[in-house]
Amino acid sequence: MGKLDGKVAAITGGTRSIGRGMAEAFLREGAKVVVNGRDAAKGAQALKEMGGGPSIAFFAGDARAQSTADGIVDFTIEKFGQLDIMCLNSGGVQNTAPVHLMTNEEWQLEMDWNLNSVFWGMRKALNHMIPRQTGRIIVTSSVEGKLGKPGIPGYAASKHAVLGLMKAAAKDVGTLGITVNAILPGLIETDIVRETGPESAKAMGAENYEGLLEMFAQEAAIKRLNTVEEVAAAAVMLASAAASGITGTSWAVDGGTLPY
Amino acid sequence: MELQGKVALVTGGTRGIGRAIAEAFVGEGASVVINGRSAEKGAQALKEMNAGDKVHFLSGDVKSREGCEALVKGTIERYGRIDILVNNAGGATGHAPVVDLEDWAMQDALVWNFWSTFWCTQYALRDMLPRQWGRIINISSVEGKHGKPGVSIYVTAKHAINGFTKSCAQEIGTQGVTINCICPGAIETDIMRDEGPAAAQSMGLTYQGLLDWFASEAAIKRLNTVEEVAVVATLLASEAGGGMTGTMYSVDGGTAAY
Repeated sequence: MGKLDGKVAAITGGTRSIGRGMAEAFLREGAKVVVNGRDAAKGAQALKEMGGGPSIAFFAGDARAQSTADGIVDFTIEKFGQLDIMCLNSGGVQNTAPVHLMTNEEWQLEMDWNLNSVFWGMRKALNHMIPRQTGRIIVTSSVEGKLGKPGIPGYAASKHAVLGLMKAAAKDVGTLGITVNAILPGLIETDIVRETGPESAKAMGAENYEGLLEMFAQEAAIKRLNTVEEVAAAAVMLASAAASGITGTSWAVDGGTLPY
Repeated sequence: MELQGKVALVTGGTRGIGRAIAEAFVGEGASVVINGRSAEKGAQALKEMNAGDKVHFLSGDVKSREGCEALVKGTIERYGRIDILVNNAGGATGHAPVVDLEDWAMQDALVWNFWSTFWCTQYALRDMLPRQWGRIINISSVEGKHGKPGVSIYVTAKHAINGFTKSCAQEIGTQGVTINCICPGAIETDIMRDEGPAAAQSMGLTYQGLLDWFASEAAIKRLNTVEEVAVVATLLASEAGGGMTGTMYSVDGGTAAY
């Protein structure tokens, strides 16, 4: 018997890394899962790696577009009949620059990817969940949702902003059987960090990519990076029926980096 | 089975939050020592839990260093070691506004909630650190983040637990041992029924008024449940909980937004 038997989850950006970890954990706990990504080939590959079968499906789309946030909800309901758990997980550092050098276009990309995508997906999912009086919204924020590092003003600002959105939404729907929480992972060496980390490192004041990883590890009490499994376990807990009394929280999975 | 083969001590585990945590841990495969002051309530709890040799009762009071030492040692004697410590015992009597507060009430609340957490943690760490694995879970409160009038003894003691937890996490972070707080909202447990009326009086409220106040502060507009706390304790105690430490996890229906 799984903790999520009979539940249906949608995860933006779920083909790799944190979203993928959530997808695999949800499947193990008995849920049906829709994952999402830009690239249909990578999506097909991810489904294959996760064992395929009737409990998992892929929805192609760029999380930076509203059509993706709306589309994954519609697709999930069409495919599996309902949506119980919405993981607004897609996001990342698109541009690194100090504030005084950041262009409007770069700023807008960060907002679309990390903040607007969460708003669009949350709004769409809530419109489905509210009539059913049940649901779980889980937003992937970051330690940078509470702290700030140099060179990533758009990322830090948008990851802070989703926490405000999450807290307000939790109050909106608090009596309707729907919880809204955020998970704040410390740095994890995911594919996306491997891709964007080398460029971020310099802008963030680290000597190189290894220096960037070391900088994050040193901030944590555990002096190491986190893992996708640690985030996925927290997501399973927040998605479970027993978590109905947990809402509006900023759930740290950061090895003791944030002392609050 | 997330806690297969693990050994846990839950102080004050015969009823309420501690009992729910003990049951959840047994359900995930752990062997659990529960504790309380009354041997009679302990026997009753063992009977109700019906978990055979997976659960053991140690009678004792956490309000002394010797009492805490005996609980940790008793756990190690019974099951060979201690992997998970839940510092759950606590409460407060003698509530009054600060201007009228008597010393004994503040002393007693600090010993019951905070000193007991320190003592049990210290003895547990002496078994956990050499083995480089451990989970310490301190049951704080939403009042460890907020403050209500008339109950400063409880609020102060719970805030102290939070500070202790943050500092200790930094000391032991690289040694496989995590320490966290769970901050539950109000739950109508036996101890709330016992102590709530006096706390309410000190706050100028009826008991029902006190419960209503807590519920109205939450986004869910209801009190919390012991099961909601137990599911978080299970997560923090698990292998995957190894990446979470030094944190104050709210289980309060959206009351403390931080």
